[in-house]
Amino acid sequence: MRRRGGTLWNWLLSAPALLVLVLAASGPLVIVLVYSFLSPGNMGGVAWEPSTDAWFRLFFKRDIFDPEVVTWNEAHLVVFWRSVSLSLQTTAICAILGFPTAWFIATRAPHRRALWLFLITIPFWTNLLVRTFAIQELIRNTGTINSLLLRLGVIGEPIQMMYTDFAVLVGMAYVFLPLMVLPLYAAMDKLDMRLVEAGYDLYGGRLQVLRHVIFPLVKPGFVAGSILVFIPAIGAYVTPRVLGGGRTMMLGNLIELQFGQGRNWPLGSAMAMLLLIVVVAALVLYLRWANAEPEQRNG
Amino acid sequence: MKDGSDGTATDAIEIVGLDKVYGQGAGAFRALTGIDLTIRSGEFFTLLGPSGCGKTTLLRVIAGFENPTEGSVRISGEEVAHLGPNKRQVNTVFQNYALFPHMTVAQNIGFGLRMLGRSRTEVAATTAEMLRLVRMEELAQRRPAELSGGQQQRVALARALAPHPRVLLLDEPLSALDLKLRKEMQGELKRLQAETGITFVFVTHDQEEALTMSDRIAVMSAGRILQRGTPHEIYHAPTERFVADFIGDTNFLTVPVVSVEAGAAQVELPGGRTAPARLPEGARPAPGAKVTVVIRPEQARLVPPGEGEMQGEVTSSVFFGTDTHVHARLTDGQDFVLRRQNAGELADPSPGDRIGLALGDGVLRVLKD
Repeated sequence: MRRRGGTLWNWLLSAPALLVLVLAASGPLVIVLVYSFLSPGNMGGVAWEPSTDAWFRLFFKRDIFDPEVVTWNEAHLVVFWRSVSLSLQTTAICAILGFPTAWFIATRAPHRRALWLFLITIPFWTNLLVRTFAIQELIRNTGTINSLLLRLGVIGEPIQMMYTDFAVLVGMAYVFLPLMVLPLYAAMDKLDMRLVEAGYDLYGGRLQVLRHVIFPLVKPGFVAGSILVFIPAIGAYVTPRVLGGGRTMMLGNLIELQFGQGRNWPLGSAMAMLLLIVVVAALVLYLRWANAEPEQRNG
Repeated sequence: MKDGSDGTATDAIEIVGLDKVYGQGAGAFRALTGIDLTIRSGEFFTLLGPSGCGKTTLLRVIAGFENPTEGSVRISGEEVAHLGPNKRQVNTVFQNYALFPHMTVAQNIGFGLRMLGRSRTEVAATTAEMLRLVRMEELAQRRPAELSGGQQQRVALARALAPHPRVLLLDEPLSALDLKLRKEMQGELKRLQAETGITFVFVTHDQEEALTMSDRIAVMSAGRILQRGTPHEIYHAPTERFVADFIGDTNFLTVPVVSVEAGAAQVELPGGRTAPARLPEGARPAPGAKVTVVIRPEQARLVPPGEGEMQGEVTSSVFFGTDTHVHARLTDGQDFVLRRQNAGELADPSPGDRIGLALGDGVLRVLKD
């Protein structure tokens, strides 16, 4: 009989998966990378003339009348900054809301936890677009919250929440919260509660035990949750499109614009590559930070 | 003192009328019932009992992890029944050590002092002192996962002793160690207690461990304390059947009372001879009543038939090297086990042999009903 560790056999076994990975992930990536160094076609698509114009226009623009005058492309920079900033804020909000939620679930009786976890996953049953429109219904000027506050006399006129960064933030935090709760719960589930007792026993107050015992031990959950939230958040498309409109675009919307109305595929490709670079760089920096010895940092 | 008890500040722990009930109504579970306990300052006190007897619950109530349902707990005279664990000058050595895996040995030991807000220099000095005390200086920068069971045990001890608590609580701390290490750590614990002068409250189900280490023992069963006393008192003068049975090997004989004097009764042994048996405090059985007396296997001697207080027939003998256990049936049919020291190369009695049993002076004890 053939030895199970045979190299050829192993390659054969993994071939289908490798094929899918190469074709579905690397392939498009190479195409996007190549497109970003070509010129835009007249009716969309690309013209096969090499150009670095797309990468230049990511950050800079030339004066219409005098191409020699180069200024920062503020419209793009604002969107880049908003994407990073809103994604970081979303991650922070999810962490702050997710921690007590996960703790609550992890401290229930074992047979009850499954039910609470099940409830956490309910939002995944419904289409993202539908859920986002539901939030719109809540926060628009004639929506539930504003009508209620108006009727109660708390406010004189509707609060403008739609088409603001706030709306996008609310939408993203709502959508991504379960992605933070689940890995946090997994980390807390493994947490030995006697360590918490030991912390109290050794004169730690609630906050001290939280900071010196619980946080360091559930940090892997925070790390996993932050990655799961930040990466899809920075590339979010539907939520900023519906709740942010044209005024609060994020990177995903800007990219879509280049492939659609903008008819500048190379610029869109360059933006997509930029997004990838930002995500990879953020991951590397974050993991390096997260793996540093916490107790050595603060002595 | 609020309830007028005569506890003094020199008592490390004073527990009065303690009940602990989990749940409510029909599903309620009484873990502890009517616990009254005084532990003196500087004592090595052991809570001994089988698993599920409530000894760990009692320890957790003293530590502050559980609130008592009823009753009061005082530590050095201060009522602590409703103070959290972090507000009590009591530290615990947990059964599986519960060392913080993300900290080094030194950081684990210094944790309590850091939480108390002690200065960096004091934390460092005390940590070094504790490392020396438990002989772990070389391993100060290791993580708990890199230590053996015995080393983790030492770190857990050092961590709990570092803040210099009034009382150290130890929850079966040696149960995870193998026999040799266990013997070593027993000596280590006694040494640490002598050096620090801290009151130790030790929980164990191991009677031998309790007898060899303790100043005093409380034997627990089903949420109650059955008897407390020195190892000698517990072993030689058990007052309850459970205590006599749980600690050491014991012969139980049912015998009629002949007469009762102050503190002792004359009982009629199988075969008709009478012998004095000490009565438990407050007991005064009527002459003619049946009582249970206990006698340890090593407190009877093997003598030629016809001699001694009782006669019997050997049913089996088991050779243990240092001693031989002789199982005999007494003249009235009750069973008796005798342990003979093998001081020389003696022949073991064979089944069917007739033997006499001589009892030491004053070894018989009457149990409470």
